[in-house]
Amino acid sequence: MDTPDFKVRTRAKLADRTMHAVLWLVALTFVGVLLVFVGAILKQGWPELNLHFLTSMPKTLDAGGGIAPELLNSLYLVAISLILALPIGVGAGIYMAEYAGQGRALRFFRLCVETLAATPSIVLALFGMILFVQMMGWSFSIRSGAFTLALLNVPVITRVTEESLRAVPRELIEASYGLGATKLQTILKVALPYAATGILTGVVLTAGRAFGESAILVFTAGTNTSDKFPDFRLSVPGETLSVHLWYVTSDGTLPDASQIAAGTAAVMILVLLVLNLLVRLLDRAIRRRTR
Amino acid sequence: MDDLLPATTLDAPGPPAQAGPARLRTAPLFRHSRLNRLADRGTRFVLLACTLLVVGLIGGILYFLAIRGAAAFIPMAGNTDKVATFRQVFLSTNWDPGDGHFGILPFVAGTFAVTGLALLIAAPTGVLAGVFIAKVAPPWMRTLMRQVMDLLVGIPSVVYGIFGLTVILPLVGHAWLADAPAAGFGVSAAILAVMIVPTIVSLATDAFESLPASLDEGSQALGSTRWQSIWRVLIPAARPRLLTACVLGLGRAIGEAMAVQMVIGNNPQWILLMRQATDQTPVLRFLFTPAATLTTELVQELPNTAAGSTWNNVLFAMGLLLYLITMLLILATRRLGRQEHA
Amino acid sequence: MLNPQIPETKPVKLAVRGMNFWYGEKKILHDLSMDIHAERATAIIGPSGCGKSTFLKCFNRIHEVSSQVRVTGDMLMDGVDINRGGIDQVDLRRRVGMVFQKPNPFPRSIYENVAFGPRLFGVRDRATLDDLVEDALRKAALWDEVKDRLKDSATGMSGGQQQRLCIARALAVHPEVLLMDEPCSALDPIATSKIEELIFELKDSLTIVIVTHNMQQAARVSDYTAFFWLGKMVEMDLTERIFTTPRERMTEDYITGRFG
Ligand SMILES: Nc1ncnc2c1ncn2[C@@H]1O[C@H](COP(=O)(O)OP(=O)(O)O)[C@@H](O)[C@H]1O
Ligand SMILES: [Mg+2]
Repeated sequence: MDTPDFKVRTRAKLADRTMHAVLWLVALTFVGVLLVFVGAILKQGWPELNLHFLTSMPKTLDAGGGIAPELLNSLYLVAISLILALPIGVGAGIYMAEYAGQGRALRFFRLCVETLAATPSIVLALFGMILFVQMMGWSFSIRSGAFTLALLNVPVITRVTEESLRAVPRELIEASYGLGATKLQTILKVALPYAATGILTGVVLTAGRAFGESAILVFTAGTNTSDKFPDFRLSVPGETLSVHLWYVTSDGTLPDASQIAAGTAAVMILVLLVLNLLVRLLDRAIRRRTR
Repeated sequence: MDDLLPATTLDAPGPPAQAGPARLRTAPLFRHSRLNRLADRGTRFVLLACTLLVVGLIGGILYFLAIRGAAAFIPMAGNTDKVATFRQVFLSTNWDPGDGHFGILPFVAGTFAVTGLALLIAAPTGVLAGVFIAKVAPPWMRTLMRQVMDLLVGIPSVVYGIFGLTVILPLVGHAWLADAPAAGFGVSAAILAVMIVPTIVSLATDAFESLPASLDEGSQALGSTRWQSIWRVLIPAARPRLLTACVLGLGRAIGEAMAVQMVIGNNPQWILLMRQATDQTPVLRFLFTPAATLTTELVQELPNTAAGSTWNNVLFAMGLLLYLITMLLILATRRLGRQEHA
Repeated sequence: MLNPQIPETKPVKLAVRGMNFWYGEKKILHDLSMDIHAERATAIIGPSGCGKSTFLKCFNRIHEVSSQVRVTGDMLMDGVDINRGGIDQVDLRRRVGMVFQKPNPFPRSIYENVAFGPRLFGVRDRATLDDLVEDALRKAALWDEVKDRLKDSATGMSGGQQQRLCIARALAVHPEVLLMDEPCSALDPIATSKIEELIFELKDSLTIVIVTHNMQQAARVSDYTAFFWLGKMVEMDLTERIFTTPRERMTEDYITGRFG
């Protein structure tokens, strides 16, 4: 018996081994990119991370400024934008999961949510600038920033709410209806509690995204902070960490701009690592329940 | 049967609803309150209003951008200077707003150049990483890769930007350009690629995982190697969804503003500059000439222009164009999705 | 089992006349007519897919929650058509309780599962709730097993206990009819016999309609048995007669296991 395809087999095997190595290489490259990236940011920023930096006011011309108002504004803006977006996002998600049926209307709503989610943040910034900054006359303020930022949050919350509600076991829904519960009661007492962890995970992810957002806020919340600290008024400008990071780097008037930027970036990475951990814990809670 | 089971009692009132057992202190009346019923009925409309608000938002965004963008071409109430023509804006590479030149082609070309380049890096590596996670990686590596992608997608644009600015630009400049500035499409695309790769990887992983196991088993049972099976069977079978993944990644890249703005060099005259510079190979020139895109130019110039000026209005027209491109991409993914089911 | 020699004394609770049922365009049930007597257990048997569950769900219209359905013909409860325009589905479902094939307790405590129904209707008083919960758990023969761990999660119970909890949960809103869709199909023989005993006791005060795959079970717990085939009712009679002297050949074949 002859083996005419012997050579081909060898080549195929060689290709298989090579590509196996390539796949690992690609994957490990991404792991490496992340490690280098986070490592570099934290290493650069580490020397800046002290109490003075975190608790004092920024300076406009001299070295030695802090990021206290920016840190507060970041958290404040994320919180307000979530408070604005949650009822609408969850409401729309409930409607799509429980009331919109399966037909054309649902497909259209989904397309809209998807489109809104894919809207570039610079486009949302333009919209917020026209509507809130100019037409409503709110100028560059926490208010303008929070409302525009909410537009970023709404579609994400809508989507996770719909998905989480669809994952609620049918049997539980039927059990509730079977006892004479109204639709509203079934949603409030059975479906939403079951979906809550999933929705919460989405909310934390949304918070992370809003926390890192900059394009929207440069044009709606502005690149300044109030002189007072803490200042919780909604009408004052509200520069956030991410905007600060961008502004000091591109403006170039601060002698210690690169240190400030490095410290700010490190703080942001640390906050996001914490949020990521939170998501992981929530995810584990969900998986434990479904098992 | 009816003869056996007479229906005589049919219309007689049934037995009264049973009361609770005697032990009960108060026998509850199991009736919903009026409030309960009203709330149940009203909720639907409140929720519908939320949904319509989401729909309306898209309309609102389009409307406002269109109005402001149109003001660049049509004299309107708020205009403070002479409007431009379509030709001057969409068919010209000359951007010199101070002098009345509003050609936005350099930005459109810049957007496609940098996102195309980014996709060139992100699409193959993303798809390979997807195959790796779905079909090759051991479980621990799978978990690790998922976490890596989650973290990469969560890092803010400006942090990517600062990393590019402080780490990559000097590094690349030192390595290839004799310490000359490295800003331009090259580094921007590399950073964009890292930013969009998680999107592609996660969708590609889903695509491969949702393929029936029989496909892979069948082809390997015929004696093909694992790679042959991936290359000849799995990737073709997952093609519509892989394309969708790439299109969505492209959409993300096109909309990204801050990270790119920080490393691209922000030069609207890049086409001219690229033509003039002759001291480098064309490839290096293309990769490392300071340039600009639709988004970066918006970030760069919007704060410096007065509302009502044609300059400002053209910027809004650029925003509208950007949004329309994104919408087209979304519709394209719908097409691809339908293709998959066909 | 009822003695065929003694005439029925209980009134008709549910009367079905010429009823047809469609899921969307697909006709599932054809021209069904039957009387279901109060305080009796009526079993519905038949091969799988013949429409037993569908028929059962028509009595509390629960499929309308998630599917597009159409019903024609009359379905009367105490002489009132339950498909009539003015009938309130939510109220109907309170009066017609249901126990499902797979135990489906809420992921909450045992107490909260049983209290869920009363709470829906605004019962807040703790003492009343306690009484209702105890009463329902006693009726479901579960009280002694769980009285010391009412705060424990319901999902930690055995399958049989979970099913009895679901029965208790249904009983807590004092339904007049209890629909049971293969309530024992997911349970072991011991748990099954407990539920069967329970059905026997419950029918003193309730109308029970039970779908079962298990012929012996139908024979043991029910007073009447209806045999369905392909969405039609082949025969309905006293259980005693169905299992001894069925009128239809098809029924006999099915009962004796000679069915193709
Ligand atoms: N929600 C539904 N939508 C459409 N068809 C259904 C639905 N539920 C059941 N059916 C169909 O109705 C028929 C009867 O089902 P079912 O009542 O569950 O039968 P059984 O309980 O006797 O096994 C089957 O052909 C089934 O496919
Ligand atoms: Mg069934």
